[in-house]
Amino acid sequence: MNSATQSPTRPQPEAVTALTARLRSEYGDRALTTHAIREQHSHGEGLADAAMPDIVVFPHTNDEVASIMRICHAARIPVIAFGVGTSLEGHVAALYGGVCLDLSQMNRVLEVNDADLDCRVQAGVTREQLNTELKGTGLFFPIDPGANATIGGMTSTRASGTNAVRYGTMRENVMGLTVVTADGRIMRTGNRARKSSAGYDLTRLLVGSEGTLGIITEIQLRLYGIPESISAAVCQFPDLKSAVDSVIVAMQLGIPVARIELLDDVQMDACIRYSQLTEFAAKPTLCFEFHGTEAGVREQAQMIESIATDHGGSAFQWATKPEERSRLWKARHNAYYAALALAPGKQGFATDACVPISRLTDCVLETQADVATTGLIAPIVGHVGDGNFHLVILFDPANLDERSKAEALAARVALRAIAMGGTCTGEHGIGVHKLDALRAEHGDAIALMQAIKRALDPLNLLNPGKTVPPV
Amino acid sequence: MLDPAFTSSLAQVLAPASLLTDAEDTRPYECDGLTLFRQQPGAVLLPDNEAQVVAILRLCHAAHVPVVARGAGTSLSGGALPAADGVVLSLAKLRRILAIDPLARTAIVEPGVRNLAISEAAAPYGLFYAPDPSSQIACSIGGNVAENAGGVHCLKYGLTVHNVRKVRAVTIEGDVVEFGSDALDSPGYDLLALINGSEGLLAVITQITVKLLAKPQYAQVALAAFDDLERAGAAVGAVIGAGIIPGGLEMMDQQATRAVEAFVHANYPLDAAAVLLIESDGTPVEVAAEMAEITHVLTASGATEIRVSQDETQRLLYWSGRKAAFPAVGRISPDYYCIDGTIPRAALPRVLRQIEDWSREFGLPCANVFHAGDGNLHPLILFDANKPGDKERTVEFGDRILQLCIDVGGTITGEHGVGIEKIGGMCAQFPPVVLERFLGIKRAFDAESLLNPGKGVPTLARCAEFGRMHVHHGELRHPELPRF
Repeated sequence: MNSATQSPTRPQPEAVTALTARLRSEYGDRALTTHAIREQHSHGEGLADAAMPDIVVFPHTNDEVASIMRICHAARIPVIAFGVGTSLEGHVAALYGGVCLDLSQMNRVLEVNDADLDCRVQAGVTREQLNTELKGTGLFFPIDPGANATIGGMTSTRASGTNAVRYGTMRENVMGLTVVTADGRIMRTGNRARKSSAGYDLTRLLVGSEGTLGIITEIQLRLYGIPESISAAVCQFPDLKSAVDSVIVAMQLGIPVARIELLDDVQMDACIRYSQLTEFAAKPTLCFEFHGTEAGVREQAQMIESIATDHGGSAFQWATKPEERSRLWKARHNAYYAALALAPGKQGFATDACVPISRLTDCVLETQADVATTGLIAPIVGHVGDGNFHLVILFDPANLDERSKAEALAARVALRAIAMGGTCTGEHGIGVHKLDALRAEHGDAIALMQAIKRALDPLNLLNPGKTVPPV
Repeated sequence: MLDPAFTSSLAQVLAPASLLTDAEDTRPYECDGLTLFRQQPGAVLLPDNEAQVVAILRLCHAAHVPVVARGAGTSLSGGALPAADGVVLSLAKLRRILAIDPLARTAIVEPGVRNLAISEAAAPYGLFYAPDPSSQIACSIGGNVAENAGGVHCLKYGLTVHNVRKVRAVTIEGDVVEFGSDALDSPGYDLLALINGSEGLLAVITQITVKLLAKPQYAQVALAAFDDLERAGAAVGAVIGAGIIPGGLEMMDQQATRAVEAFVHANYPLDAAAVLLIESDGTPVEVAAEMAEITHVLTASGATEIRVSQDETQRLLYWSGRKAAFPAVGRISPDYYCIDGTIPRAALPRVLRQIEDWSREFGLPCANVFHAGDGNLHPLILFDANKPGDKERTVEFGDRILQLCIDVGGTITGEHGVGIEKIGGMCAQFPPVVLERFLGIKRAFDAESLLNPGKGVPTLARCAEFGRMHVHHGELRHPELPRF
């Protein structure tokens, strides 16, 4: 048994040459080494710290993934799983070269079990594709990070989204996985029963492991019945504090809202311009969505509206027709791109603080004041029902001073959240950018995480340099 | 027997009354709710605080002494069965509710706090702790986390793992570690999920932050009778398939309703082959709307009679039989054996029919009382241990049911845990590649396997001895497997 974790190093060039030749002969035009392809697979979104893999392979089956993994294991070559490259924390950068496994062609919905409210999909299925394929079944999959990410990527980063407040995150909605282990064996975790006390919870361990413990190739997901009635409403506030306070009261009353999204005045301004939401003002805004029976939705909405009014909120502007709702939520999902459009040429850098709901107002207001001292443009947007909010910090990549200011701001946001009993990452994950913050937050548990990494990937071949700080 | 030098080192840490070594004092700790396995430990330790837990674990680690953590001792799988050469570490004295934060809707509690005591303490704030195993008046929250306990309300509100925010625990090396976060998510590997259901094999829990939920304003329960077991099973799928997630969805078959009626006099329809209890909770408006839909689905699924509780007394009366099912069955049969298999809901009709057929084949009555909405079966096989052959046939019957659960895509334990009882069944459910990962995780936390040794996860050697290296479609026959 190999007990020592190898520190990550670049593999020997000869080993890489031999491996790429072998993969190209086995996979033909599904194994590519062109510069353009490798560059495209060298980074996600967000801070573009790119590192190119030596080769990109597009497997189609579990067996192909296992076979590639076995070859890489034998040759000691790193392997990085890749969905559609929308992650924000540098998860997919091939820091030590190696093989990028692009799973986007494993994109079949394998089964839908309507009576059990679950389905099984390949890792490359995107969330929008899944919901399109579910049309007609009366079911839907609720988790919706802003990007049209793959289910595999969402599982690996334990993604969340706008309606986690009602439906949970990937943690609550992944029932089981097919995983290829570091030594190239295929294993299934979890099962289709709704609960199990047998053995350690490998499924949840793998969810959020960012490709460092195994390659996720299939996912069993929980589905939900499309609610009988859905309505969305927008409420605008005179200031940020009253908006956030309204959220806190609503959550404490336990009103089962499906979505509560906060946009500050800067973000609202960006969305109004980017998505032509001309009927709204550039003021702190909450967007709500209610799911349930018709009577239930009406009741929830009335309770929320009266809370908002007490806090100085405007009358609700309703979006009840599906096309009005999807226009609204599309604008919300495009908030990141809208923020980028505020300053063309600049890059966006998203923070991901998440605090206990009782500290949300403090955290958001202190953060807003902090932004003001930097002179940077950094709109606030958040899934505030979960205590989770993001800054999109805009900076000019060519301007080192601005970049370091942006990074310092992000670090302060993370530490502020941690100091308030929260976390530096509600949903984007650790990747490479948040390793220091993880250390600050999880001091004692890191040794255990490292030990688990060693147990499941003793040669440190799976996405090396990510998620868990080196020993 | 423990080394006297080790025992005296424990005496440096614990007051005399907290260190039990005489056989008559350790006798009450020789088993948990699974009484067929008994083993007296070398000593029973009753620390008062976390610092003592740390000191004890450091001593045990240094002296290579096995440690079995114990809560209220209500485990049904022998999770707290002592090791002969080890100590039982009872967390019973760590029973303070440290804080209730009605704004964050959390409670911070010590592991020895009873499950129900949390909801009682939260009640003045209109809050409650959702997971409610049947033993909730007695079982402790530390044990609930260790077993990832379920209960009637888990269908809607999740298992223990969904309702715990943060766990503070001590490793075998004596390091205090926090898993999870006060916020919704915690970065890095989900160690909190690993601790839930780890059966005392990874660390000793000393503090738990649980989520509290707003108590629903109103609840109603529908009691639906069916003249056919399979049809009742299909109705469960129909309710969920209609997108309704009730507060509870439980099933009792005729064997069970007859046993409990004599006990609680709830006026159950005794001629029905099966009864479903379906609860709706929320605001009165929501409950009314959901109940209308539930009634509609049940009628369409062939219910012969539907009663909806009209007030709280009636609601509790309908539930009383379900809650009292186990003791009621205990009254009609000298012995019973409770199985805890869980299956995908859609397989319910088929599995129930098969159990009924096997019950006839074995000549052993079987009462079904279970969390139908979760697909979590609890067949109670009735037998008489004094009748020659009964016990053996019961074991075989139970094995068949569990293998069927695995075959239809389910699991050998939904909420009771593996413990010592199902250690052999683990070899049937999981292939070596998975068992190796389990063992790797165990080693990452506890390289010498001192925490609750011999439970939860079988060694590969043990599986090989059983000849049970995941024979997937084979007959499950392993007479060596201890069941009682």
